Amino acid sequence: MKDNITSSTRNLPYWSQALLENWGRLRRNPTGRLGLILLLAFALMAAGSFIPPLVSPIYNPMHGVDPVISHTSGPSLKHWLGTDFIGRDIFSQLLAGARVAFMVGITAAFMSVVLGVAVGILAGYAGGWIDTILMRTADMIMVMPTLLVVLMAAALFGQLSIWTIVAMIALFRWPGVSRVIRAQTLSLKQRPFIEAARIAGASHVRIMTRHLLPNVLPLALLYMTFRVTSAIIIEAALAFLGFGDPTTVSWGMMLQWVWKTGHMFQAPYWLLPPGICISLLTLSFYMLARAMDEILDPRLRRQGES
Amino acid sequence: MDGRAKIIRTMFLKWPLKKVVLLLVPAIAAVLSTGCHDNKSNLLRIGLASEPKTLNVWLASDASSRAVLRLIYHPLYVRDPKTLDFVPWLAESRPLYDPAGKTYTIGLRQARWSDGHPLTSADVAFTVKLIKEFKTPGWSRWKYVSKVETPDQRTVVFHLKKNFATFLSRTLQIVILPAHKWRAVARAARRTQKPLATLMRYKNENPLSSGPFVMKQWRKGAYIHLAPNPYFFGRHKIIAGHRMGPLIKGVLFKFYGTTDVAMLALRKGELDMYWQHIQPGYMDILENTPHVKIINSPKSALYFMGFNTRRPPFDDVALRRAVEVLVDKHFIVERLLQGQGSEMWSIIPEGNRRWYNPHLPRPGEGLNREQRIRKAYQILSAAGYRWQKPPLDADGKIIARPGDLLTPGGDPLKPFTILTPPADYDPARAISGTMIQEWLREIGMPAKARPMEFGALIQQVKVRRNFDAFILGYGRLPLDPDYMRSLFHSRNDRPRGWNMSGYHNPEFDRLATAAQREMNPRKRRKLVFAMQSIIAADVPYLPLYLPTLNQAVRTDRFSGWVSMLDGIGNRWSFCLLREVEGAP
Repeated sequence: MKDNITSSTRNLPYWSQALLENWGRLRRNPTGRLGLILLLAFALMAAGSFIPPLVSPIYNPMHGVDPVISHTSGPSLKHWLGTDFIGRDIFSQLLAGARVAFMVGITAAFMSVVLGVAVGILAGYAGGWIDTILMRTADMIMVMPTLLVVLMAAALFGQLSIWTIVAMIALFRWPGVSRVIRAQTLSLKQRPFIEAARIAGASHVRIMTRHLLPNVLPLALLYMTFRVTSAIIIEAALAFLGFGDPTTVSWGMMLQWVWKTGHMFQAPYWLLPPGICISLLTLSFYMLARAMDEILDPRLRRQGES
Repeated sequence: MDGRAKIIRTMFLKWPLKKVVLLLVPAIAAVLSTGCHDNKSNLLRIGLASEPKTLNVWLASDASSRAVLRLIYHPLYVRDPKTLDFVPWLAESRPLYDPAGKTYTIGLRQARWSDGHPLTSADVAFTVKLIKEFKTPGWSRWKYVSKVETPDQRTVVFHLKKNFATFLSRTLQIVILPAHKWRAVARAARRTQKPLATLMRYKNENPLSSGPFVMKQWRKGAYIHLAPNPYFFGRHKIIAGHRMGPLIKGVLFKFYGTTDVAMLALRKGELDMYWQHIQPGYMDILENTPHVKIINSPKSALYFMGFNTRRPPFDDVALRRAVEVLVDKHFIVERLLQGQGSEMWSIIPEGNRRWYNPHLPRPGEGLNREQRIRKAYQILSAAGYRWQKPPLDADGKIIARPGDLLTPGGDPLKPFTILTPPADYDPARAISGTMIQEWLREIGMPAKARPMEFGALIQQVKVRRNFDAFILGYGRLPLDPDYMRSLFHSRNDRPRGWNMSGYHNPEFDRLATAAQREMNPRKRRKLVFAMQSIIAADVPYLPLYLPTLNQAVRTDRFSGWVSMLDGIGNRWSFCLLREVEGAP
């Protein structure tokens, strides 16, 4: 395996080598490749969301309206996916929705993984009562249904902003990550290189950040990919139920508009695109995660694969 | 292996013979019983958006509870569907009052409760006593009634401390309760520590009715069945030119959590009427369904933007006037309401002809965006406002992004927030907020729309009074213009008071107090017109729009819906509806 690595990567630290290697495997994995392609398409959509408002103010996803069309209309040259009930361009909204989905998904997942990894490493490494306290807390939070809790918070405190929603998702989704990272840390802790570091006089902080963290990072990355999916779905569900941030155009919000204005069964060109996008984007993250799972867990690899 | 096969064979062969029959019998019975429920198909089936919360008239604040209660409890006077004048209902004729307007004498019809017990002046007196003693919601309207006398069974005399023009139109709008049933309830409540709370907790599941229908069965979670009341006073009588029924065999209220399901039921013929307002999105498909008709009714409502006149920036009338010009009501009506409504120019809806002042100015009517910005620019510059970069360049052309607006004092205008209800509560108001935010930014006002949960919004505006501007609405505005006094009289500028703007104007206060007491309709009208002019000039509230009410009915089974203010779900409809001949 080492022979495949070029001389330029040989000098890199172990974890960078591993990342590069795994990247190669990911590209060869058909599920991973499809996931990546889909993800790339959505990333392009998100990046492209800045363009329509520059073309004309009528393509502003939130408050740009067609000067002539004042009701929902089907796809046309001017509006590729048609317009919503007040004459806003559905295509621009779809692009803006991709941006919001990425923003919500990745930020929430990143935050929950950072929290989960920190707690996991600390609990696994420290052991004893710190471990007990942290893991019991994690257990308590893990059993709470995220969507329900966020719904209740929204009902209690009024309309939540998109960043509050992101923070809440992150706060409720870390325990799963921390459990896995803790298990990994417990196993790593017994390895000779940690022992060696300790004997060489490395501080606890140094051991955790320089020796343990790099080794759990691939696993953390895998979990982050799964978390993105759940964060996107939770945000969409919240927005659809009317508890989203009404100042942002997300796919869930588009679905809420279509539903609340009574166009659910009347305007498929308005209902289907956000629905399909939510499914495809979560699917792409899921496929990516499946592929990563296969790569990181050698037992799942197909025969003959290195 | 053999043993397992045997078990499976036993399950498939022997089990059905004995047990399936046993299981099927109750299942079939259950299906048949639902069938029986559908056999109530000769009833008028009405869809409500939710199950009524209560049939206790003191607690009923949700639309569904009120819909059912409206058929059960009745007031002394109701409004005529066409003229909106008062028609004697439980009362026999219009009230007689002395020249000073302090004593009202009302004769009652010969009426009975649904248990056959006569409805007498004692019931009226008891209801008033209950309101005053327990301070039930709305009791403040009865504060000035000093005494209720019952010289005989069919005469009630009200003695007022002062004369009030609103006594008939506001105070007397209560429904009359059966004293012989509620007396015991009141007695029990009086003995508790919180009498009002106990009174309001009373379930009242089998209310006695004075109306055309009486409660037959309430199957929780499924339906409410009302049967015709054999003792209804109006039966076969002619009231306001209509021969009263009820001519139908009963009413069945069903509950639909989502509009989509209700619409499907209506189109499939499982419903005869859906009580809720129909969103424009459903219109096309309903209009193309045979035997389904959409009935438009006017609403007495007020949807408006309110300003906090107690503090900057909206303590300045020039800024409020500039906002008024910048807000495009036509856009809101045409786009957000999809044309199902009209623009509002006064606190009193245009449809309320007796009191609406048609001579008010209409600032901003028919202007395009550019003209609006120019006009607002004029208003603001004249009041001393400046810009870091003016919205008009040297050639008088409008620029896309002007600099911040500076107050006459030279400081930049502080960012302000427009509070709106959340989108799921009312998409029109929430999106109006966002649109208004953009319109105001076009001239450099640092506006931000913020949807807020409804209860929190009311708390913020009415109790804490910590806000800049808000968008709210009154869906059921009284026809009597006295509510203007409640909304803008300086005395009501207090926590939980109705004067949410904190508007103070001694001249308005004087006119409002005079209008409340003026018994001469022509003179009162003049006062109300003047009040509207003051509010239109000072803009503490900016009236936005008045939606129309669209309700859908099926025409193949029942006919005779009476469309009037606030929809077809009125008392007249239920007294006049009849089955269509040869109905399925």
